Amino acid sequence: MQIVKVEGSLQCTARIEGLKHVALRVLQTESGSRLVATDPVGAEPGNWVFVTSGSAARYTAGDFEILTDLAVCGIIDHWPDKE
Amino acid sequence: MKICQIIRPLVSTNRIAMMEHKLLQVVQDGSAQAVAVDAVGAKPGDWVICVGSSAAREAAGSKGYPSDLTIVGIIDKWPPESDEA
Repeated sequence: MQIVKVEGSLQCTARIEGLKHVALRVLQTESGSRLVATDPVGAEPGNWVFVTSGSAARYTAGDFEILTDLAVCGIIDHWPDKE
Repeated sequence: MKICQIIRPLVSTNRIAMMEHKLLQVVQDGSAQAVAVDAVGAKPGDWVICVGSSAAREAAGSKGYPSDLTIVGIIDKWPPESDEA
């Protein structure tokens, strides 16, 4: 599972039913590239979170029907610990 | 899921039968271009969200649909110019 930073939430009204009404967050990986994940936890912009990818991401929101391949699993309390 | 921009539709009349008649779009993901099945009906220039792995197959139609990248949503406003908190 990857550690990423939450950049902000993403508004997307035109979406397929498979996405239901889950919150979408824009995430920034340490390499700087941007990703989008579903967020059952409710992370704020600026939080460091860890995400799970692939079909495992579909189990995080309780039912298997959510069509996602990346989902936030939890907010990290202290990160990065280098400081 | 990735944020991509639609370049244009991809026309491929000679394709495997399992792909049926789904609309295929050429999408730009950063520097790389890829082909994604369009499940929402986006037009060129739209910023969209693309999903991969098993979710891409179900979003495209059925569990057995041979897609590893499917467009699942059109973003309302992108890029977010005003960097509000």
